[in-house]
Amino acid sequence: MSEPYFSSLKCRECGRLYPKKAVHVCEYDFGPLEADYDYERIKSVLTRALIQSREKSMWRYRELLPIDGEPTVGLQVGFTPLVKADRLAKALGVKEIYVKNDTVNYPTLSFKDRVVSVALSRAKELGLKTVACASTGNLANSVAANAAAAGLDSYVLIPADLEQSKVLNSLVYGTKVIGIHGAYDQVNRLCSEIAGKYGWGFVNVNLRPYYAEGSKSMGFEIMEQLGWEIPTHTVVCMASGSLLTKIYKAYHEFIKIGLVPESKFTVHGAQATGCNPISLARKSGTDLIKPQPKPNTIANPWPSALRRTDIMRCGPWSRRVAGRRMRRMRRSLRASSCWPRRRVFLPRQRAV
Amino acid sequence: MANFKGRYWLNFDAPRSTQPLIYQMGKQFEVVFNIRQATVNEEVGIMAVELEGEREVVKGAIAWLESQGVKVEPVEINTIEG
Repeated sequence: MSEPYFSSLKCRECGRLYPKKAVHVCEYDFGPLEADYDYERIKSVLTRALIQSREKSMWRYRELLPIDGEPTVGLQVGFTPLVKADRLAKALGVKEIYVKNDTVNYPTLSFKDRVVSVALSRAKELGLKTVACASTGNLANSVAANAAAAGLDSYVLIPADLEQSKVLNSLVYGTKVIGIHGAYDQVNRLCSEIAGKYGWGFVNVNLRPYYAEGSKSMGFEIMEQLGWEIPTHTVVCMASGSLLTKIYKAYHEFIKIGLVPESKFTVHGAQATGCNPISLARKSGTDLIKPQPKPNTIANPWPSALRRTDIMRCGPWSRRVAGRRMRRMRRSLRASSCWPRRRVFLPRQRAV
Repeated sequence: MANFKGRYWLNFDAPRSTQPLIYQMGKQFEVVFNIRQATVNEEVGIMAVELEGEREVVKGAIAWLESQGVKVEPVEINTIEG
């Protein structure tokens, strides 16, 4: 690419602009910074034909990802199968269901390869030599593997009492694993201090504006794989809320640059009953989300969540999925032709 | 005063959301607090605040807030991911 299409970082709350460095929070109101693009220029160059002429990876949409030059990390990541699950659709009584199977991502079989590829590509552009993350699993593996491939030093911070089996997957890539003693909030605060003090690129701290944008690639792929259209309904596991908002953003970006026709769509967030702060806030009609410090669910919980969430602006409905129903759904998915770990999409003409 | 600056989100549940906890923290600890944004109602309070002071004093102020039932997170919120 001759000139970058990614123009600056922008505060999501107040709109202030920031240079494209390893910064992630607005100095004024602590709002998160997001990548801002020159959509007019992108519209003039990015066509369906150009995208289809490229390698089948997440980087075929590179103009809409926050890097200045060509991607350098994770060149094989993405373009995972969108599986039509007919038996599941029949079991649930809907017309069509597709499942985006990101468990076959390269190299660590996780959705995290998408976000880490973007973060590390940008880290190299910024001249960073050391990257890091704080993780209990998939993120650590992805940072370790992609950093090794990119020739970057890496550190993985983990809770000191994490099971050995989870650490081994990262250690094989030669990363430095550091166990931290302390409560969850103390570890969080320590990580943010380290990121500020040592000039490392923490993928989900000071590289977050770049990291988070990698999630959009899943939305881009879904639209292309459905024949350049937006699914009527998309169901996304909520987790931190980031994936949901980025898929929503991806749909709007494709509309904005004319790659898909404008259509009515809804992005639904799913949370497990017992750990559903966003769902509860939605139900009570407030945008103030109260963390649930003691989750009670069989799902891998995410006890606190976005506080002033863009999720409300996305217009999705957040649904609770009770534990029993979740087990039943998992059984249904196992019995169908695919076994997704992460998310179920219910596109085209059907409500959930 | 050695300059340590920390940026945090404070979460107050009821009934703490209506109590003057920031005022009390300022009286007890030598920290400069700079509130950057806040949303408060009777059920919950959420505040973005910068705390500046001696590192140990700031840590003490945070520990005191936590002892009062306030959740104190870095502005990055969840740096630990799955």
